[in-house]
Amino acid sequence: MPIVEARALTKVFRRPDKGPGLAGSVKHLFARRFQDKVAVDHIDLSIEAGEAVAYVGPNGAGKSTTVKLLSGILVPTEGEVRIDGLHPQRDRMTVAHRIGVLFGQRTQLWWDLPVRESLAVLRDLYGVDHATYRKRLARFDEVLELGEILPVIGRKLSLGQRMRADLAAALIHGPRVVYLDEPTIGLDLAVKDRVREFFRSIRDEGTTVMLTSHDLADIEGFCRRLVIIDEGRIIFDGDLEAVKDRFARERILHVETARPVPLETLRASLPGAQVTVEESEVRYAVRFDRFIMTAGQAVTALAGLTDLVDFRVDEPSIEDVIRRVYSGELVLDETGPRR
Amino acid sequence: MRTARLYLRLLGAHFRALLEYEADFLILALATVLMQVVNLVFLAALFARVPVLNGWTFWSMVLMFGTVTLAEGVGSLFFEGMWNLAWQINRGELDYFLVRPYPVALQSSSAAVGINGLSNIVVGGLMIGTGLAHVDVVWTPWRVALGVLLLISSVVIKLSISLATNAASFWLSSPTPLFAFAMHQVGDLARFPLSIYPMALKAVLGVALPFAFISFFPVAYLLDTGQSRWVGLLTPLVAAYCAGTAAFIFKRGLRRYESAGN
Repeated sequence: MPIVEARALTKVFRRPDKGPGLAGSVKHLFARRFQDKVAVDHIDLSIEAGEAVAYVGPNGAGKSTTVKLLSGILVPTEGEVRIDGLHPQRDRMTVAHRIGVLFGQRTQLWWDLPVRESLAVLRDLYGVDHATYRKRLARFDEVLELGEILPVIGRKLSLGQRMRADLAAALIHGPRVVYLDEPTIGLDLAVKDRVREFFRSIRDEGTTVMLTSHDLADIEGFCRRLVIIDEGRIIFDGDLEAVKDRFARERILHVETARPVPLETLRASLPGAQVTVEESEVRYAVRFDRFIMTAGQAVTALAGLTDLVDFRVDEPSIEDVIRRVYSGELVLDETGPRR
Repeated sequence: MRTARLYLRLLGAHFRALLEYEADFLILALATVLMQVVNLVFLAALFARVPVLNGWTFWSMVLMFGTVTLAEGVGSLFFEGMWNLAWQINRGELDYFLVRPYPVALQSSSAAVGINGLSNIVVGGLMIGTGLAHVDVVWTPWRVALGVLLLISSVVIKLSISLATNAASFWLSSPTPLFAFAMHQVGDLARFPLSIYPMALKAVLGVALPFAFISFFPVAYLLDTGQSRWVGLLTPLVAAYCAGTAAFIFKRGLRRYESAGN
């Protein structure tokens, strides 16, 4: 049985349709008009226990709304959610023990309390016994280096410190499912690395993780499954590696030659590849499909024509692929819920 | 029991923070005491002219004022967070409340401590004490127990009305609790004997927003003053009804909660 299941999940927000300025607001008082905005549109999603799922999409695609629906914060307009077979509103208390939520843009720590106190209040709310609590704190400390921020008061935390503390807060009760909504937003690289390592450690312990992020480096090497949402609909749900194989086949070989070589000569020796001149006349870019030609073959072919001074191969990141999906350049047809 | 213990834990988290701002603490406490003194001076001036108001003496009025003050004090000291509900809804702050295994309404109401409540409780207690010392009631154990029950019911009614009117913020998407505050002002009318008001106002204060059950009806019953004294005995029932209704309104409101965009 999937641990998280959503069927035809839909959320429609009703927004007042006001004219511009004060005049528009006053007019709205007398003639109330509303506009429906479909934030999430009939989403089917099922996540098995232990899975790590990346949930990506452009701004305003409905990512956060989905997370809020899946955690029971919002009541769906249509459709339903089950967490471990439970209804998130009807069994709110039980579900609360099984899920952990982190919104990167919002803290759940107490503003005027030291981190240690905030965590202790949460420990008591969730009824975590002291031994387990100490064990978890020690483990969080290993990866997140929590020790140094425990005595710091909430309002005095830097963004990186706050995020580490919030991660601990979201996981202090040992939830089975964790929703991480933009958990690395605004962090510097060193902290990002540490936080990513932490994600891997909780995944390896068998926690189910759903991660939304704009930074696709969060996803590579962490999630095997990729779900792409756009305009409230899931447009792709499948294996991350498969997407890369399918849509990230292009490689770009950048070469610098000792002397200028006519483009036609280059093109003739590299059938099936696109050759263009780059910033100077001794620098060329060769685009090819890695299933048609290997980088080695391309280099060998070029070396037969002239002396190579330098070369480098670029492979597209999953980021490029998803960016191209967003912009409508690539149409993924592998849709439909995956079991 | 566990709920109550955790409530104090949550409240304590804010109380500690409050002590960081000592000056605020003292100014607020002083201002509250002054306000109650003004109330008493006003009452004394009134009763210097008319010794009895619709059958109510000065001391029985002090008793009524005291009950309201005490109920308000308990509300401020322990449940001040309710008055932040509009803001919490507007800012999407209920998100985390909703994923914790603790009642959302209690997480909201424990989110602030109104230290002025402390002086209101003390002043209200003193008013009730002196009021009682000056009225002639035969205190049997049964009557004392009833008095305590009525007082607890008063406080519950006050809190329930505050919660219900603040929960209106789920429908009125304003960041300030204007509606609840307006209703609170209406409630101030219930400091005086209900019998001096016209019928429509009696209906509002007795039935629609039963502020009259916070002080007028229970005190009338205890002091055996005015007509239809028996109504005061309904106070515990009214309290149960108010608490139920408030919880219901809050629950319905929560279903409308839309969070805030990230």
